[in-house]
Amino acid sequence: MIKLVLSSVRHNLARYLATLVAISAGVGFFVAVSVISDGIISSLDGNVDAQYGTVDVAVVPDDTTTVASTGAEPEPLKLPQSSVDHLLALPGVDGGAGILTAPVAFQAEDGKPFATSATGRLWITDKELNPLTVTEGKAPTSSGQIAVDQGTADDQHLKVGESLTLLTLAGKQKVTLVGITDFGDSDALDTGGTVSISEPDAFTWLNNGQQEYASFYLRGNDPSTLVAEAGQVIPDGFNVQTGNEFRQDQRDANGSFAQGLKKALQAFAVLALLVGGFVIYNTFSVIVAQRLRELAVLAAIGATPRQLKRSLRLEGVVLGIVGSVLGVITGYLLTLALEGVLKATGNTLPGGLSVSTSTIVSGLLLGTIITVLSVMIPARRAGRTEPIEAMREAATESASLGRTRGIVCVVLGVLGLVAMLAGSSLAVIGLGVVAFVASVFVGAPYLARGGARAARPLLERFGIEGRLAVDNSVRSPKRTATTANALLIGVFLVTLVAVAGASIRDFAIQQVNDLQSADYVVVSTGGTIDPAFVAKLRDVKDVNEVVAFRREPVTIDSKASIASAGDVAQMAKIASIKAENGSLADLTTGTIAVLDTGEGKVPAVGSTVTVKDSRGKDVQLRVVAVLAPTQDTGQTGSIIDEHTFDSLVGDVAPTVAFVDIASGAQGSTKDAIQNLADLRPDITAQEGNAVGKLIRSVFDFLIKAVTGLLLMSVVIALIGIINTMSLSILERRRELGLLRIIGMTDKRVRRMVTLESVLISLLGTLGGMLTGLVVSLLLVLSFNRLSQATITPSIPWVELIVILVLGVLLGVLAALLPARRSTRMEVLDAIAAS
Amino acid sequence: MTTSTEAPTRSAAARAVDARKTYGTGEAAVHALAGVTVDFPEHEFTAIMGPSGSGKSTLMQCVAGLDRLTSGSAYIGDTDISKLNKTQLTLLRRDRLGFIFQQYNLIPSLTAKENILLPLTLAGTKANDAWFDEIMRTVGLQDRLGNLPSQLSGGQQQRVAVARALVPKPDIIFADEPTGALDSRTGIEILTFMRRAVDDTGQTIVMVTHDPHAASYANRVLFLADGQIVDSMDDPTADRVLDRMKQFEG
Ligand SMILES: Nc1ncnc2c1ncn2[C@@H]1O[C@H](COP(=O)(O)OP(=O)(O)OP(=O)(O)O)[C@@H](O)[C@H]1O
Ligand SMILES: [Mg+2]
Repeated sequence: MIKLVLSSVRHNLARYLATLVAISAGVGFFVAVSVISDGIISSLDGNVDAQYGTVDVAVVPDDTTTVASTGAEPEPLKLPQSSVDHLLALPGVDGGAGILTAPVAFQAEDGKPFATSATGRLWITDKELNPLTVTEGKAPTSSGQIAVDQGTADDQHLKVGESLTLLTLAGKQKVTLVGITDFGDSDALDTGGTVSISEPDAFTWLNNGQQEYASFYLRGNDPSTLVAEAGQVIPDGFNVQTGNEFRQDQRDANGSFAQGLKKALQAFAVLALLVGGFVIYNTFSVIVAQRLRELAVLAAIGATPRQLKRSLRLEGVVLGIVGSVLGVITGYLLTLALEGVLKATGNTLPGGLSVSTSTIVSGLLLGTIITVLSVMIPARRAGRTEPIEAMREAATESASLGRTRGIVCVVLGVLGLVAMLAGSSLAVIGLGVVAFVASVFVGAPYLARGGARAARPLLERFGIEGRLAVDNSVRSPKRTATTANALLIGVFLVTLVAVAGASIRDFAIQQVNDLQSADYVVVSTGGTIDPAFVAKLRDVKDVNEVVAFRREPVTIDSKASIASAGDVAQMAKIASIKAENGSLADLTTGTIAVLDTGEGKVPAVGSTVTVKDSRGKDVQLRVVAVLAPTQDTGQTGSIIDEHTFDSLVGDVAPTVAFVDIASGAQGSTKDAIQNLADLRPDITAQEGNAVGKLIRSVFDFLIKAVTGLLLMSVVIALIGIINTMSLSILERRRELGLLRIIGMTDKRVRRMVTLESVLISLLGTLGGMLTGLVVSLLLVLSFNRLSQATITPSIPWVELIVILVLGVLLGVLAALLPARRSTRMEVLDAIAAS
Repeated sequence: MTTSTEAPTRSAAARAVDARKTYGTGEAAVHALAGVTVDFPEHEFTAIMGPSGSGKSTLMQCVAGLDRLTSGSAYIGDTDISKLNKTQLTLLRRDRLGFIFQQYNLIPSLTAKENILLPLTLAGTKANDAWFDEIMRTVGLQDRLGNLPSQLSGGQQQRVAVARALVPKPDIIFADEPTGALDSRTGIEILTFMRRAVDDTGQTIVMVTHDPHAASYANRVLFLADGQIVDSMDDPTADRVLDRMKQFEG
């Protein structure tokens, strides 16, 4: 049996070629994305171990969810030196390390800044807890000494012993480079470069002279006891974790992204493989039809249906295995090629290339299973072969479409539509989408026949070859439909993502833009917005007003949050600061306007809340207003009366400012503000509508990325069209020969093949696009219905037209090989006895 | 105007001069045509006979521009077809030649009428209505014109093929065993049409056949053996042809 199967596969190798390419392309894609995401995951895990491997107990700030949800970059709570002293004094502590970072940059002799996104770090003196190793020179221990990472040193050509100017929150500093550092197998701990600063300088340069730490790590023999004891001495808003818990958190935070990425990429690969399934199904259907006589002869001499079926399935298994093995190899070569390209451009693939057994096994299984599944139906057809079919003339699939098909198509379609229109949960609506798309698949032969007939008048303009192209695709509507379906699914998803994505994007942007906001928000991270800087801002042309205010991390009723204080009346004039309840005018000594974050309970007007600053001082304040959540209140957080703020955190300088510019301001105003910000490493200027822009760019990126990934399935669909056209040309050898004998020139024969190919790809493209449009519009409708949102569907016409044009081009491309083949055959084949 | 030495009264619609066709090389070489010189006169019905493998089909295909000679030359009218490229050959077949084969003459997705008009459609010209009707009347297919080939019997399909060859009024029609797959009565009908086309409209026909009775419809029979013309017979009858054929075997 196996021998028969193997010889059949060998004999039909040319026909199976497309099948093999489809399987191995899909499996290759799967293996490649798995290997790359595994690399990313393991490199992120490795980083966590290198950075925090020796930490036994970690004291870290609570998650500051309150502020993050409204879009502003919060300044997290810091751990005061007094708490750290308590921690270090605990019994069983062998050593500790405080983490403190702030942005720094260097200034060259000509005044130009460089390494502008570098991170300044307090040098950790505990050797075991310090993730950095000194590879050259020595550690920065006394004032005026710094060390930089290897990458920055190489990029900027810095040498040990060199004198440099460092821009810090405390202004320009003259420093000496005393050492070069290394982090694990990578150069720098921070993406923009790491500048290690000695303890005597660190608090002044990185934290306005305050002896505070962002987090603190301890070494000790008995972590669990230490955790309990440390819990007693740390202030509110902090959390104590064992080293293992802490590392797991870090891994999760990094890894969840990479895991999600891996799953998403694999989903696209599986989709590509499923599209390959259509190609396989088609190939086998055609092969069964062409071999009907052979099968009938076998049936006549006594082969049972079961044997016929099994022989075909075995062919599927053999092909599936061969294709999958080729695919695994292709996938590995693909990653090698990618690595090569990256190396050539001076980058590296994170984590390197390691092909795990699970990747290989799942790749092989996926490819083989999908092949075997795709062969099921053709195998059943082979099993049903009657001996009498050996005598029949026609050796093609039947053109008639069964009644059941029509009924299934209509039922699925109606169910799908109803579920999408009236479904009350996401699950029901999702099932509706699946049912509707399934109905399109089932009904595709009708669409292919109808669509081809509708296209006939247009194609007939190309002459008799156009007419024959239509006839041929109508003659085997099932095959035409399966070929088109392979493309349809890709185009459907592209359209869905484009339309639904654009609709939601535009809605989100509109929502954000509806919220008025200050034109600019200028924030100092670690430094201050001093009067001199405010004056410089005011001097910029078209700047109407600058209102600076103070902002501090606090806890409100033990929940980490931020609070601000400033001239509320002025702030409200140029920024969107409004009270939902109560009145901002009531903000006097001992009162607070709390921010409604949209999450959890908001204290009522008239109630009292406890506000604690990072040094543990606390005060009871009466709520006089609840602030509506806007972009700007996202920046301020809750607002406290200025005198009360003074007594709570001291008379600190402002760190944030709202800037109002004239409505007709030019781009030069933006540039001027940006330039002022660039000269201070601590200051960033953000446009008020930046969130809208951010949303747009994120959505656009996602739409592009998804479209790009779907390209793989389109490529496989292309293989499918090439395959179908080649098979159909083989089948029509006689007909094509006859046409050429009685006077159709080769050019016109090729045009006929091309027209048919374009017709198929247009059917797939249009079908997919229409399905995508219908589904995405219904999805938007039901989303509106379920969430009371008012998303207006945005149809990206330009993209749709581009897709359509690409569909035509795809058809032309797919026809190149088959068309050449169609005229390379001998005309005499037409009259040769069979 | 060139005049053939052998038939001074009639010019040749097609000619072969020292035509040779060899398949394979060296020991395995098969000389399908071993130097054939022949004229197919205008307005005449010529039959080609000979044992199986004698080169009948090869001769016809090479003269009709479906295949190329190894050496020698073939002419359609005054055109040396060995000098034409592939496209020129195709256009020559479309505009000047008609074909009838034993089987597979029709495009399955076109109706009988569309099949008949196919050479004209390809050339972008229209049929002369009176002429078309006349052929339809003779061939007797008026009521089946809208049918697809699969809905016609073998004999009807062959009539459609004959009609397709006749409608464009080609310079010459090549037929390779046109009645080979038909029963004798249907075969006689087809041969009668072909004879009528020669008598009534001056059509030129070259027909390859195995059947002495079919050959008797021709003006002249050429006998081929081992790739060479060994004999010819004017105004043949079935009996005389049969006698001649027996000599080959004997
Ligand atoms: N493509 C080919 N390759 C090799 N040999 C060929 C080829 N075509 C024909 N021949 C050989 O050339 C010779 C003449 O073939 P041809 O088909 O012309 O014979 P025929 O007289 O038409 O025979 P039949 O009456 O059986 O149709 C035969 O010996 C045949 O085997
Ligand atoms: Mg022959």
